[in-house]
Amino acid sequence: MTDLSRKEFLRFLAASLGSIYLSGCMDQDKLLSKSLSPDKITPTPFLPDPQNTNSTDPTSEPEEIPTQEPSATPDSVYPDLAVARKGDPEQMVRAAVESLGGMGRFVKPGDVVVVKPNICASYHSYEYAATTNPWVVGAVVKMALESGAKQVKVMDFPFGGTAEQAYRASGIQAEVQKAGGKMVVMSNIKFVETAIPNGKDMKSARIYDDVLRADVLINVPIAKNHELALLTLGLKNLMGVIYDRPYMHINLGQRLADLSTRVPSNLVIVDAVRMLMAHGPTGGNLADVKKADTIIASPDIVAADSYAATMFGYEPDQLIYIKKAVQMGLGIKNLSKLNIKEIDLG
Amino acid sequence: MAKKGNTGRKGLSPSQWVKIRKVSQVVFFIIFLILFFWSRREFYLNPSIESGFKEDLVNIPLKLDPLVMIAQAIASRKILKGSLLALFTLVLTYILGRVWCGWFCPMGTILEWLPIRTWKKRQPSVPEWFRGIKYVLLLVILFSALFTNLTLLFLDPLTIGYRTLTTAIWPGLDKFVTFLELKLISIPFLSAAVGGFDSLIRPAIFPAHPAFFRYGLLYFGFFISLIVLNVLAPRFWCRYLCPLGGLLGLLGKVSLVGCEIESSCSTCGKCIPECPTGAIKDEEGVYCDPGECTMCLVCAENCPGDSVKFPFKITKFLREPYDIDRRKVLLSLGATAVGVGLLETNFAGQLLPPTPIRPPGVMNERFLSACIRCGECSTVCPTNAIQMAVFDGGVEGFWTPVVVPRIGYCDYSCNACGQVCPVEAIPPLSVEEKRVQVIGKAHVDRERCLPWAEDQECIVCEEMCPIADKAIELELVEAPDGEGGIKILQRPVVIRKLCIGCGICETKCPVAGEAAIRVWVPTGGNKNGHNHHG
Repeated sequence: MTDLSRKEFLRFLAASLGSIYLSGCMDQDKLLSKSLSPDKITPTPFLPDPQNTNSTDPTSEPEEIPTQEPSATPDSVYPDLAVARKGDPEQMVRAAVESLGGMGRFVKPGDVVVVKPNICASYHSYEYAATTNPWVVGAVVKMALESGAKQVKVMDFPFGGTAEQAYRASGIQAEVQKAGGKMVVMSNIKFVETAIPNGKDMKSARIYDDVLRADVLINVPIAKNHELALLTLGLKNLMGVIYDRPYMHINLGQRLADLSTRVPSNLVIVDAVRMLMAHGPTGGNLADVKKADTIIASPDIVAADSYAATMFGYEPDQLIYIKKAVQMGLGIKNLSKLNIKEIDLG
Repeated sequence: MAKKGNTGRKGLSPSQWVKIRKVSQVVFFIIFLILFFWSRREFYLNPSIESGFKEDLVNIPLKLDPLVMIAQAIASRKILKGSLLALFTLVLTYILGRVWCGWFCPMGTILEWLPIRTWKKRQPSVPEWFRGIKYVLLLVILFSALFTNLTLLFLDPLTIGYRTLTTAIWPGLDKFVTFLELKLISIPFLSAAVGGFDSLIRPAIFPAHPAFFRYGLLYFGFFISLIVLNVLAPRFWCRYLCPLGGLLGLLGKVSLVGCEIESSCSTCGKCIPECPTGAIKDEEGVYCDPGECTMCLVCAENCPGDSVKFPFKITKFLREPYDIDRRKVLLSLGATAVGVGLLETNFAGQLLPPTPIRPPGVMNERFLSACIRCGECSTVCPTNAIQMAVFDGGVEGFWTPVVVPRIGYCDYSCNACGQVCPVEAIPPLSVEEKRVQVIGKAHVDRERCLPWAEDQECIVCEEMCPIADKAIELELVEAPDGEGGIKILQRPVVIRKLCIGCGICETKCPVAGEAAIRVWVPTGGNKNGHNHHG
């Protein structure tokens, strides 16, 4: 019935078992996510890298670390952080990013860009300030494509309602598609177990493959209230790229900082066109919304979050994740040490 | 559908007609599947549909089902516009006989394709009186409907089809595909291809995150057992059990077009074992019982003498021993009275009456008399909150929809279940109307809740609560921080008058096992959302 000799069969069997074994041995994490290792993402040459200048030693005492907070080099070509006010959303995004050196500083031709807005639930339209302003996201997509990006994917992992419905209800889908970007529904199987080598508390997590593979991650949070974290801003927005969020809630501040070491944002654009002052993160009451017409942009996620925190009347240190991120040397929270460019479009 | 007035004589030969019939079966089976997946997709991708023809369209198969629509109309004492479509099937059956069973019914099609064993030489030895079971079932269903009970509609072939697809076949396929993807994605050179494949099928065909249905094995087992019965006789279900077949058979008895074996018949008997429902008998001459005939035309195809015809004429009701007679009517009436009576006397001996959480807008007192047990609400529910009850809705509520918040929550931006329900048992509400329906109230179990019982930080329920002013408040207390100091701890407290019982808090509660915050039906039942406001 068969022409296969026993020898051939055994050889074949050995080869297949061997290959299966090998595929099991290989470090899935490295193979699946060739890209965003922290060293590859290190910031652009224009800004000293806080991670490197600050010899992050996970064992050092937390108390000592704030003193190591690096000061921005005065001769930076570009400001550390740009704030644009009183324009329409797209104008403000363009003005802020322009003063940081333009999108071309962050997005190189041929790059695959992931834009991560906050689309936490499908409940309300953008006026309720629970989800990032659609025109802000649209502007980011346009600018990334103008800088030669090969593809711009926009995604979030809503906790309330389906992603499809949330993308539509937030108005983000329409603007992204108009701008030429692609809305991606995050699928269960593409959250891959990924080691977080620099994490202090969280050593691994299931992180979304597209985010890991992206050349550039642009983090576009909306500034809003959150009872446990006080505010949800850029660092907190990264929670949308991992699968097991309830787990994150234990020791939230540290784990958010840990996550940011593995999924660093190349550019953070905080949408404070509308700010949700209470009943976040879901909102639903226009009385809780404050129109601030402000966009904050920075390659330093800690700086961007710290600036946004002050808009709510908080000291950056009051936000536990900012505190932890500073301890890990992920950025600068001290606004007086930052070179801030303020642009008034009004 | 103009098919057989001219069978044999001019035009198409019987075997050509059989081919057309098979094509029709395939086409309608595919339409059934497409409507199923399309309903899933339309509502899944776009749950906040206000109104439109989509929901009418996806329900067409059920609305064409006269058994479901007649029983529903009797039990709910209300005739819905959509139900009138079932008249089409009745008229069609009066003209052409049980073509529904032989040409369209997806259940019949499956049973015909999976005969398990072929009975080429003789008809199976199942006693003929078994054929009466379907008539008794039909009568019991209709009599029960008079008593406002619809429990046995779970035996309708279309509801079986929807339920099995929704709760077993489709999620089973999903799990299987997910399993393969997960295995293949870990092979390095395949990972990109698998990722690409995944974005093609999700969310287009399968949801982005696997659906979950309780008791999938039960639904699947029920369905498989109907197929396995084919071992005893071809189309066992259709011959002996199907109550819809019984209803259509009654009409088929007097249909205008029917199988007639002409006097030129040589009584060779070739057609008798070929007939998939055993409708052809050889007692004092060969003849066909039109009540059992599914118009499959296999007899005509196999007749060597071209003696099987399908003439157009008025047919006289020809009684068979297994047909409905006075005894069967009395038996059914008695069985119904006993059965419905037993349900009323709580024979299952439940100490507490079942208090299931029903889909939004459902009015409990009339729900069981309106729900046809089709499970379409469960099909479209994007979060899997709607599951089919086994006994959690009471014996009477077998396979009716219940909300199980630990599995899924009632999505604040979704009203799909009410839109898709073919009989308005779940009312078609706008999203705004649905948002104020109170389906239950959440309660924190302070003995298990992390901040209450263990002084641990957790605010997941408050964070998730979709109510604009938050139906869960965080109480600030001082608690030991574990290092000898004091920390400010937030503890969740439900604001009862704001809570609508959507259950997202229970779904997402990180406590292992049963959630530390659970939704219960308020005392007095979930009659109507507005009663509980103000």
